[in-house]
Amino acid sequence: MSQAVFKQRNGLMAVVLVTDCGLITPEKLKLLGEMTDEFAIKTFKLTTRQTIIALLPEEQVGAFTKAAEERGFKIGYFKEAVRNVKACSGSSDLCPRALGEALPLGIKLQEKFFGRELKHDFKIAVAGCHRGCTDPYCADFGVIARGNNLFDIYIGGRGGSRKPVHGVRIAEKVREDGIEEILAFILNTYNELAEPGERLCLTIERVGLEKFIPEEIIKKYKEQGEIIDQDFLKLLQGGK
Amino acid sequence: MEQGVNLERLWGPLAKICSECDYADGPDCNPQKCFISFAKTVIDYSRTKGVTEIPGIHKLIPPQDLKPYYKDLVSEGLAITCQECRQCRENHSPDCVVALVRTSLEGTVLPEHLDYPGSVLVYLAKVKELDPELAEFIAAKMAKK
Repeated sequence: MSQAVFKQRNGLMAVVLVTDCGLITPEKLKLLGEMTDEFAIKTFKLTTRQTIIALLPEEQVGAFTKAAEERGFKIGYFKEAVRNVKACSGSSDLCPRALGEALPLGIKLQEKFFGRELKHDFKIAVAGCHRGCTDPYCADFGVIARGNNLFDIYIGGRGGSRKPVHGVRIAEKVREDGIEEILAFILNTYNELAEPGERLCLTIERVGLEKFIPEEIIKKYKEQGEIIDQDFLKLLQGGK
Repeated sequence: MEQGVNLERLWGPLAKICSECDYADGPDCNPQKCFISFAKTVIDYSRTKGVTEIPGIHKLIPPQDLKPYYKDLVSEGLAITCQECRQCRENHSPDCVVALVRTSLEGTVLPEHLDYPGSVLVYLAKVKELDPELAEFIAAKMAKK
């Protein structure tokens, strides 16, 4: 597994700093500002994976990554590991269109699975509604809120590719508390069945999707009873 | 239900009913007490969230609303719900946005609840059994559009 530190054409080094699914507190932003002078950072670049790239001279990289980690930043991974999780601002505090708590779920999944070693890099995306702003349909593991704390799960997507692949829905309306277990099953099965360097979509193509569907776990967490949309209920009762 | 419900069309007749309502903006202008206010809340929610089905919500339609409503105005709204209906038949959901607006409108003028059959033609026949004049109004409004 490798840290995401890359040499750029202009000779500077790019160090990828992981955020909490794009969320960054003013305190952390201040820390970044302070480090700008300290480590001669030339500029920052925001990435499509909700990370921040710091561009700085090569001789500063070691000291900068050490200081960044000491100040609570994680350095990104690339190659054969679970990458940082992408999540939209879907939550009861932010996006009014959200049907579920995508952002807290994304942060939770990142905390638990980020950096786990695999046969190929593995991208997770969580979206608060079917619009899928974080591209969950093109992630190795995509989660989409359906309302009432229920989520759909897609696997085997591939974005950022000359040959993009849409994921396949393997679970519909499962409760939030089952998602970690389903993801753990997918990761274990993937590690067991994949050839070295084989992306999930290709493993699925080779061995079949059914091996990746944890029927029993899905059944355990699938919403069975009747539900009432809680967000609508709040609106009806004059809440937010 | 398929995507593509024209929420603005559904909204139009509701706004018209409100503009002629003596109780508008008063204490009874409340989605927990007023059928029309409830239907507007459904449309607002659907527009914001981008959903056409709101689970379990048909149970929250106000049990009664004793304000007077005019069949002529209400039938315009019902005609539009018929046109926006995707006629899902056995897949019909009472929590579909179109169904929620229709049920709310029905509550203003019909003496009893109607189970929607999932088809416009069968629906009109059922309305006719309960209120022939209303069925005629709806059919006329549908023919005009």
